[in-house]
Amino acid sequence: MGLGFTVGVIGVLILGHAAYSTIQYRSLLKITEEEFSGPPMEVVLELLVGLLFCMWAALTVPGKFLSVHPHSDENRVVSLPENVDFMIFNHRGRAFSSEVGLKLKH
Amino acid sequence: MAVGHGDSSSSDKKSTDALSDLQTFNAENLQSNMKVIYYSRTFLSIIGGVIAGILGFKGLIGFVFYFLVMAVTSAALTAKAKFSIHSYFDTWNRVLLDGFFGGLMSFVLFWTFAYDIVHIF
Repeated sequence: MGLGFTVGVIGVLILGHAAYSTIQYRSLLKITEEEFSGPPMEVVLELLVGLLFCMWAALTVPGKFLSVHPHSDENRVVSLPENVDFMIFNHRGRAFSSEVGLKLKH
Repeated sequence: MAVGHGDSSSSDKKSTDALSDLQTFNAENLQSNMKVIYYSRTFLSIIGGVIAGILGFKGLIGFVFYFLVMAVTSAALTAKAKFSIHSYFDTWNRVLLDGFFGGLMSFVLFWTFAYDIVHIF
């Protein structure tokens, strides 16, 4: 998530730089008294690159898609109860030293 | 013994038919997926608005640009879900249309904002 966030920030900075370039271009046009028809080609390319970076960040940062199937492997309903209040440890299991292979759902 | 009575805390389900797999789904994960789509769309609407303002779009062409950005977003979200929508959502409409008009408001706001900053002041 850190990398996606950084890429998003870079994308926004590129957009800000493109805006600044367009403002300078417009003031140049005011001096030469021409009409503004569109930003120069470099600015358009810069906007495209910024859009691509932001798009990549927008898809990566919010998080992964989780599966909705109830029977898939990561949606197991069978799990050890997570409520710590009801966990007791002072039982006969102390006498055993076995590894229990049940999967925890976190 | 460790197999408790299923619906303890985390995964509550909606089911109308116990045999049909598509009717039963894990609602908590579905909500999380919807949040992911919402965040992605909102952020890209804002970015699209800023770009439309910088490019100097006026009038209808700006809205056309918004639809274009949303179409690309939908395609990208479908690709993120690895094209198997039914394992992450219940209907297609959620991926394609959810958050569309909320994003439109943000788009117009940032479009006006960026246009004013770049072209008027």
